[in-house]
Amino acid sequence: MKLYDYILSPSCYKVRLMAALTGVKLELRPVDFHPGLEHRGLALLALNPAGSIPIIEDGDLILTESSAILVYLAAQAAPEWLAGTKPEEAARVQQWLSFSGRLTANLGGARLHEMLLRTGDIDALQAQGIAALRELEAGLVEQNLRGQRFLAADRPTVADIACFPYVALAPDGGVSLDPYPAIRLWSRALRSLHGFVEMPGIHRLHELKPEPTVEESKA
Amino acid sequence: MHTLTTGPWTPVALSADLPVGTVIPARIPAGSIALWRSESGRLSASADRCPHRGMSLSHGFVRGENLSCIYHGWSYARSGKCVRIPAHPGLEPPEAIRAKTFAVEEAGGVIWVATDEAATTPPVLEGLMPLRSMTTSAGIAAIEAAAGAKATAEGLVVPAENADTLCLLLSARDDGQTLIHVLLKGETTADSRIAASRVAESLRRAAEDLQKKGIAA
Repeated sequence: MKLYDYILSPSCYKVRLMAALTGVKLELRPVDFHPGLEHRGLALLALNPAGSIPIIEDGDLILTESSAILVYLAAQAAPEWLAGTKPEEAARVQQWLSFSGRLTANLGGARLHEMLLRTGDIDALQAQGIAALRELEAGLVEQNLRGQRFLAADRPTVADIACFPYVALAPDGGVSLDPYPAIRLWSRALRSLHGFVEMPGIHRLHELKPEPTVEESKA
Repeated sequence: MHTLTTGPWTPVALSADLPVGTVIPARIPAGSIALWRSESGRLSASADRCPHRGMSLSHGFVRGENLSCIYHGWSYARSGKCVRIPAHPGLEPPEAIRAKTFAVEEAGGVIWVATDEAATTPPVLEGLMPLRSMTTSAGIAAIEAAAGAKATAEGLVVPAENADTLCLLLSARDDGQTLIHVLLKGETTADSRIAASRVAESLRRAAEDLQKKGIAA
């Protein structure tokens, strides 16, 4: 399974993270997203006319929507990451998968504006990002009150992975995460999962590993 | 301008939002702080600035009884004293390397930090159970107007329409934002707690509307 990947792309990171958490092996094919705009070149447009990444190529299957890719990886390797049979849980997974698209537009838009000088109304993008974070915070508070630690259930699902990267990288777009205690605990729970991998800007929990020891050099 | 008289004490966070072995950012009138809880459960509050290179200590991590900076791993004890510099494992860090610390108290599920070495204790909130904290761009006057009730000297507002179930503990910040700790009265169920959280969201929305229109300015 080949992933057309860009290290700084939160949407590509969703796929790498899901693969790491579910034990799927990916062949990474780096894309020169910036400054080369390779994703808008003829070769990649032939795979994905929308001109976006990530793209997954698995035999003759081509997937270009990150939520669909998450579902594909989970269905193959770890179905417990998908919604169960309860109507409410199934609906919640879909609710937050759709919501993750809004995060890409607002928090992701603010990040592209601030990091890659993409044009856009930064004030509006940040305001929409804050509104989305408040929605997520309220949703997580309610889930906690139901005794559930994650967005759709008391276990992580594809919905959590779909929402996590753009939220964790909100400060790149000038949006603070300080005001959201429930988001902070949720982010911590996700970063505590066995198999968690990092991307630039999203680091692992150092305290989960033993303290590294260094011998004093005798130079 | 509203002056709430909680003495030197600021309600900075809810206990439930700071599990053992974690650090979070918070604000007091003296500035930003790193609020952390050690593995054994002891609370600490230090200035949010590593004495080494100025990195925010709230970006760091807690291992055992110490807070470590994310940048170069300098570790600080509860007293603020630097206890470890990873690049110099054989060195006993000099006494002079200290992060500034503040008095911190926890009562009824609320964490309070004092701006100076206070002889007093933080206000006691009888019969109230914390639900959640939220930040708003509305000031205290706008929140009072939205709630239809005045704040007490401790910063407690009992919203007129939810007087039997809800109480808001307000803390004005120097950046014009207000931190709201949503507290519950009496017996609650999961359903009533979820309902109260939604009421608080609506109150915040109403207060921010009033703030924007300048009605409560």
